Amino acid sequence: MRFKKSIAAAVAAMSIVGLAACGGGTTGSGTTDTKADKGLDVMGKTITYDPNHLVNDGKPIQIEYWSWGSKGTDPVYKMIESYMKIYPNVTIKTVNVSWDDYWTKLPLALKGKNGPAVFNIHNSYDALIRPYAADYDIDTEALETDYSTASVHEDENGKVKYVDSVINTGNIYYNKTLWKEAGLTDADIPTTWDEFIQVAQKLTKTDGGKMTQAGFNFNGDAYSAIYQGLNYQKGELLFSSDGEKANYNNDVTKENMQFLKDLYDKYKVGSVDFGNDYTQSFGNGQSAMIYAWGHMEGTLKEKYPDIDYGVFATPTFSADTPFAYDRYNGESTPGINKNQTKEQQAVAQDFIKYLLANDDYIREAVAELNSFPAKVSLQDDEDILSKPVMAAIQPRVDRLIWPGPAPSTVESSGTTAFQNVFQNGMSIDKALKEAQAQMDADMKSSDFTSMESKYAYFDEHK
Amino acid sequence: MKNKNGESLLSRIFTLRNMAVTFLVVYFAVFLAYPIIKAFAGSLHDWNPLVGTYDWVGFDNFKQILTDKLFWSSMWNTAVFAGVSTVFRIVLGLGLALLLSAKLVKCKDTLRGLFYMPTITPLVAVSFVWMWMFDPQFGMVDKVTGLDINWLHDTKWAMPAIIIMTIWKDFGYATVLYLAGLMNLPRDVYEAAAIDGANSVQIFFKITLPLLKSTTLFIVITSLISYLQAYVQILVMTEGGPGTSTYTISYLIFDQAFQKYNFGVASAQAVILFLFTGVLTLIMFKISGDSEDLA
Repeated sequence: MRFKKSIAAAVAAMSIVGLAACGGGTTGSGTTDTKADKGLDVMGKTITYDPNHLVNDGKPIQIEYWSWGSKGTDPVYKMIESYMKIYPNVTIKTVNVSWDDYWTKLPLALKGKNGPAVFNIHNSYDALIRPYAADYDIDTEALETDYSTASVHEDENGKVKYVDSVINTGNIYYNKTLWKEAGLTDADIPTTWDEFIQVAQKLTKTDGGKMTQAGFNFNGDAYSAIYQGLNYQKGELLFSSDGEKANYNNDVTKENMQFLKDLYDKYKVGSVDFGNDYTQSFGNGQSAMIYAWGHMEGTLKEKYPDIDYGVFATPTFSADTPFAYDRYNGESTPGINKNQTKEQQAVAQDFIKYLLANDDYIREAVAELNSFPAKVSLQDDEDILSKPVMAAIQPRVDRLIWPGPAPSTVESSGTTAFQNVFQNGMSIDKALKEAQAQMDADMKSSDFTSMESKYAYFDEHK
Repeated sequence: MKNKNGESLLSRIFTLRNMAVTFLVVYFAVFLAYPIIKAFAGSLHDWNPLVGTYDWVGFDNFKQILTDKLFWSSMWNTAVFAGVSTVFRIVLGLGLALLLSAKLVKCKDTLRGLFYMPTITPLVAVSFVWMWMFDPQFGMVDKVTGLDINWLHDTKWAMPAIIIMTIWKDFGYATVLYLAGLMNLPRDVYEAAAIDGANSVQIFFKITLPLLKSTTLFIVITSLISYLQAYVQILVMTEGGPGTSTYTISYLIFDQAFQKYNFGVASAQAVILFLFTGVLTLIMFKISGDSEDLA
């Protein structure tokens, strides 16, 4: 009897402890900072940050930073370390949540009062986090001066909740070893798609009618990105004139789908049955060229370190300057939780200003995310431009367009259309029609509005 | 307040039995009843819990689903996947169980363990391994068979490839259940059949198979229920492609809820799947009940 009661008491006690653990406290404990003068220089040009002050009046405080990344893949981690060294009373606890869970756990956490004060953002999930994000307490004009893409993130009140730290776009990655084997040199780097086809044909190998090396491979999810670039090159927008509907089923998409199909069927530079995943196929040395974004650099470094590769700008349909070379997308600066306490938000605002004024943050982002700096002062930086991918992006940076935080259906339905045409034998007309219908259905209840009209050369579109 | 045994009111309330029952009730209420009720309610709303949208739309989600071609093709794919996988699971499971129960077969325990191993291996890991095995350039399947098929990227072969993997993973479960069933069959019936001069085929179809009916029904019911909810192998191996040719209803629900954050439509699809599974289970129980009555 006594044993049973003991177990019952233990179970009850554990339940209470368990329930109590559901709540979270973020009161700081630790060092008090009394020294406002840190003896450090003021950082930044237009956005400036003077570190010689007390944060939270020097009283101990702990805030959280959530991210799907970690040290080495998220530049904020290193900046947290340097910030905490300057302000010993501030503890920024980093919480890593896997990408798959991040976009369900984060909004739910931000809804409550114990969510992280600072959190990593990917702009494709803008609609999920925007309701919980606080405006940056930084002059927008100063942001625009320092960050070339800041203006597209301003809302109707001229405020921003995040901006791009670095940006990226598509490029052609080529295998230098296979390139040399085919007798090609740097002088053969193509600038138009016609030249590209000739080079790709030289890089393609077959044995007894069976492909053994692809000149160009876009199998997998490459189409979802490349079709957007090809359409922009021809001046076709991704969204309707009111910016609220997808503009997929049109003559230009049709033309470009046919162009891609011809690459495989007519020019025989690749095959839908050769190398199901373009990155893997390139990494295994089976495909000589692929279209990929900056993430490819990280993939190659991590998974295929033996591949000797180069990068060149995606070709265009003619030698003339296109409406846009491609779409770009940015890696975002962190968001601030507007439901957190005033004290925590104040620390978060201070930390964000520290990031934006500090070149180290952008350099770290360039290195870790293999992306081009959005900070104007670093766009001609020799050290940064020594990386092939940066050198390939830099001359085109003014002619890259951002459509806004486009709903995922724009890419996923595009991929379905590609698979329907290339793998299911569906006609291009039908595949495009079905994809358009899917995009329309998915965007029916979306609040998305395209940012294409903010592009500097918008008036040149079709 | 104490009773005649000297126990206080608190000690009578906080007994181990009461605590255990309370936990069970709370568990079922929180993790089963509440989500089901919430899904039913959610199916009538334009619902995205991540941004707090919850607007009444009546039966609009159901109307949208029932006129959606993708929903019906997903239902068809689910039926094919569940039906074929279940049949092969039973045929293979029973065949191997009969083989393992034969006197001529040696190392029965080792073989039984070997056949059961895929069942206890995580589905995600198995799916990844099979995905690589199906690769046309370096995969084992094409190399061993001498075929030249791009299994997971050819609309004709993608679903069969997923079914092959699923059968390989799951037949061991049926084998073990059938082995247990075979071991419990009454010996005297077989002795009587032998005396009457029945051959092995007659014994199998007239005695073994009918006596294993309850085991078979159990495997059919559990297989169908789990296969109707299958989506992990789809997610890992094809992501529903090529195109939408391997979308199953559970993958469609996952896609609506966690890719498009359209929880209202996903809930309506889940409600339909719930009702469908419920009806199917009832039919199976009815058949099972009838067979027991007959027995």
